[in-house]
Amino acid sequence: MHWAELLFELTVMPLVAFVVGLFMVLMMRKIGARLQRRVGPPLLQPLYDIIKLYGKQTQTSHGLLHEIGIVMAVGGYVAAETLLPVPGMNGIAEKGGMITLLYLTMIPSLGLALGVGQCANPNGSIGISRALTAMLAYDIPFVIVIAGVAMHFGTTNLVDVITQQQSGGFESWGVTQMPLLALAGLFALQGMLGKQPFEIYVAPAEIATGPMVEMGGKFLGGLFVMQCFQLYTASVLYVTLFLGGGENWITFLAKAFAVLLIPMSVAFLFPRYRTEDMITMLWKWPVALGLLGLVFIGQ
Amino acid sequence: MNAFDLLMLVATAAIPMSALLAPIAFGRWLLVAAYAVELGLLFMLTPGDATRSAVAFQLLGNDVGWQLDALGWFFAVITVGAAGFSAAFAAGEWSAANGRQGLSLRWLYGGLQINVLAMLLLLSSADFISLFIGWELTSWSGLILMLLAGGQAIRAALRYIVYALAGGMAVFAGMLVTQAHVGSLQFAALSAAAPNLPNTALWSITLLFVLGFAVKMAILPFHLWQPPAYAYSPGPASAFLGSISARMGLFGIALVAIKLIGLGQLLTLSLWRDVVDLRDILLWVAALTAILPTYVAMRQNDARLLLSWHGVGQGGYMLLGLMIADSLGNAGGLLHVFNYASYQVILLLAVFAVIHRTGTADLNRLGGLVARMPLTFLAMLVGIIGLAGLPPMNGFVSKWMIYRSLVSEGMPLLFVATVISTLGTVLSVYKLLHNTFLGQLRLEHVEVKEAPWSMTIPMLLLCVVVFVTGVAPGLVLSHVASVQQAIGLEPVNYILGGIESPAGSLDMLWISGILFAGFGIGALLFYGFGGRSKRVHQLDNYAGGHFLTADVRYQYSDNFYAGLMHRIRPWYRNSFVWLESSLVSAVGAAGMLARGFFKQANPAQWALVGTTVVMTWMMWHALG
Repeated sequence: MHWAELLFELTVMPLVAFVVGLFMVLMMRKIGARLQRRVGPPLLQPLYDIIKLYGKQTQTSHGLLHEIGIVMAVGGYVAAETLLPVPGMNGIAEKGGMITLLYLTMIPSLGLALGVGQCANPNGSIGISRALTAMLAYDIPFVIVIAGVAMHFGTTNLVDVITQQQSGGFESWGVTQMPLLALAGLFALQGMLGKQPFEIYVAPAEIATGPMVEMGGKFLGGLFVMQCFQLYTASVLYVTLFLGGGENWITFLAKAFAVLLIPMSVAFLFPRYRTEDMITMLWKWPVALGLLGLVFIGQ
Repeated sequence: MNAFDLLMLVATAAIPMSALLAPIAFGRWLLVAAYAVELGLLFMLTPGDATRSAVAFQLLGNDVGWQLDALGWFFAVITVGAAGFSAAFAAGEWSAANGRQGLSLRWLYGGLQINVLAMLLLLSSADFISLFIGWELTSWSGLILMLLAGGQAIRAALRYIVYALAGGMAVFAGMLVTQAHVGSLQFAALSAAAPNLPNTALWSITLLFVLGFAVKMAILPFHLWQPPAYAYSPGPASAFLGSISARMGLFGIALVAIKLIGLGQLLTLSLWRDVVDLRDILLWVAALTAILPTYVAMRQNDARLLLSWHGVGQGGYMLLGLMIADSLGNAGGLLHVFNYASYQVILLLAVFAVIHRTGTADLNRLGGLVARMPLTFLAMLVGIIGLAGLPPMNGFVSKWMIYRSLVSEGMPLLFVATVISTLGTVLSVYKLLHNTFLGQLRLEHVEVKEAPWSMTIPMLLLCVVVFVTGVAPGLVLSHVASVQQAIGLEPVNYILGGIESPAGSLDMLWISGILFAGFGIGALLFYGFGGRSKRVHQLDNYAGGHFLTADVRYQYSDNFYAGLMHRIRPWYRNSFVWLESSLVSAVGAAGMLARGFFKQANPAQWALVGTTVVMTWMMWHALG
């Protein structure tokens, strides 16, 4: 590949992720509003929010690490997006693969954890301890899913996974071949997005939004951007593993938004679990589904 | 005199030199230079060129000698490197301060060098007799370092030596069985005879050696001695022992079970039909060793113990990788030995730098030191990213290789097990970093200064190693490939940035490049746009409707993962502690009985016992 073409892809892929992510945030808020019989925010509200947060006059920093944490949280996702193939663009997806992507997306979380730690707010530390516990809870079913998918397609390379599904048509999609794993993946997705019922680490009324407690102005703006990337990454990864990736931009975006409809609707209908109940829940049903799904792999 | 003899000579001569020079600051730097010379000599050697040592003799009809092949060379470089960096860390202010408090610097530096020599002897053994000599020397010389600190270290050291002796006995028994079946104690004789040995002989030889080596490696259930023994040794000794000493067990397993007996032979040792064989058992024991100690580490409140428990867990990864039959997996296991040693030295040294400045490693008595000791923080950050196995540090590469090969070899459950261990590590190391460097700064630590240069420079140099070998793992993989060749495995197919394979590649040059480009964009977005941020003082905090003053302690540190523990606490049953103590009681009871019998303390009782036994036996036969 020509270097200019690669550079173009590496620039465009994170940009697309950000813009699509903004609309995903909008969709989430719209769904919430409709379920609560409100009108919901206008089209560009997520963008306005980010601009507002960046432009705030009071921007309290608790030290260099607080700032670096935000840089890592955003920067880590910018990097991760280039490992996630989109229609017509593979970026450097072939240099990594799904296991690398799984671990690369821990870097932004680590950055956030470092930044929050520097703030010396006990609510923040409690929030991070709960967020890491949540990660342990949802990643166990998720790696079972990853293992099953990688074994089914015989590779950890996401580009090959997409090619195999698209050449075989709907019958070869992950979701039709591995319905149990797809269902387990949906549970893990809910945890990964940090939405109800798995948002005990934010718990505004109890620990004052946990990790976000010392974040104001562009610190919170950075986390907002991170959330856009997070929504995009989780849903596109799911589309890639189970729904055949995107044949073109229209089906790609349709699938990506459709996947998110499920966790977002669930989020507004359920209260939150306590930490230990969240662990029990995620280690019971999705793990059982995933292990059962593994049995059928390679049969 | 060849380079190998010269290496051994330098390592031997450095021992009396250590005893002589260690109390003087300049002398200690000279001793660090001796390690540099040893490392240089190692790099002058071409491993596998069959240069045998000038020292050689005959024993019971066996040629006893020493020679360094690629496997031994790989471990030797790590050993000398770990010792050199640990010695450099201690050479300046650390030794001066600890020497004033009564630590014997002669024994510390001498002991370190004795350990290095013993390990070199073990790593270059060319037959079972030299292997056993090296093995015992390594075990006993470890004791020197453990006994130095006194106090609770002595209890740990005594426990260690019991385990080490038991392991040594198992190795010796393995040698006897080898001699009985093969008729020789030469390595070549066993590897020639291995394919034709009867199953029972193969079982007993493999099991005895693996058991003996597994004790040193602290594979479950022989792991209880290791964390306290390594953690409570004095600073540089702890870093050295914790990073490489236990890996001598892995070296032994690689040598005997893989090079001499062969991985293929292990597959023929089936336990139940064709479903479970010896290798499967080792794989699962290794996986459990990777998981359980990691979750014990998470509960530790002493930073040194936390890291030492992780050391046990990481050993499980290495054994697991080594036992996977494909070249990617066992390359991952071997690479992990190097990677683990490099970041474990950093981590332990960073903890000892904190102890040097604050006087404690208690994770509930620290916090907020990031602004006081930024370089030590940076070193620990690099170390924990390595230990947790996240990109771009080297720990990720070796773990990735193990993951990928488990997936492509069709062992998804073992893959899930390794990831469970890694996730536990992520949680545990964040607790370590948070409770030491983040959160609230305690009032008594407001005046704490950064560790002196003599300590930070060795740590930061090692950080460069961890980072560079993470970005360009091909630098180490070239040596790993020659190790694989030396022990009869297929060498891994590597590129400078990692692995290229149709079943999934990894190119860390690209991954790290894009990661740092991403950070650059993140920094541009943060610093280039929006309002200016205003920094507040570290002690200027506000939470829950109150201004928090520094004299109120609110650091969230104890029982850091309370929610998780609420769920999994019932699963910690201390089964292994129970197992160990019941063994101790059993041995104690047997000892009491034997003493009673020997002293004839109560002849009538013994007569009664004897008669009962004889009567029972007679009745049994009469009825049968």
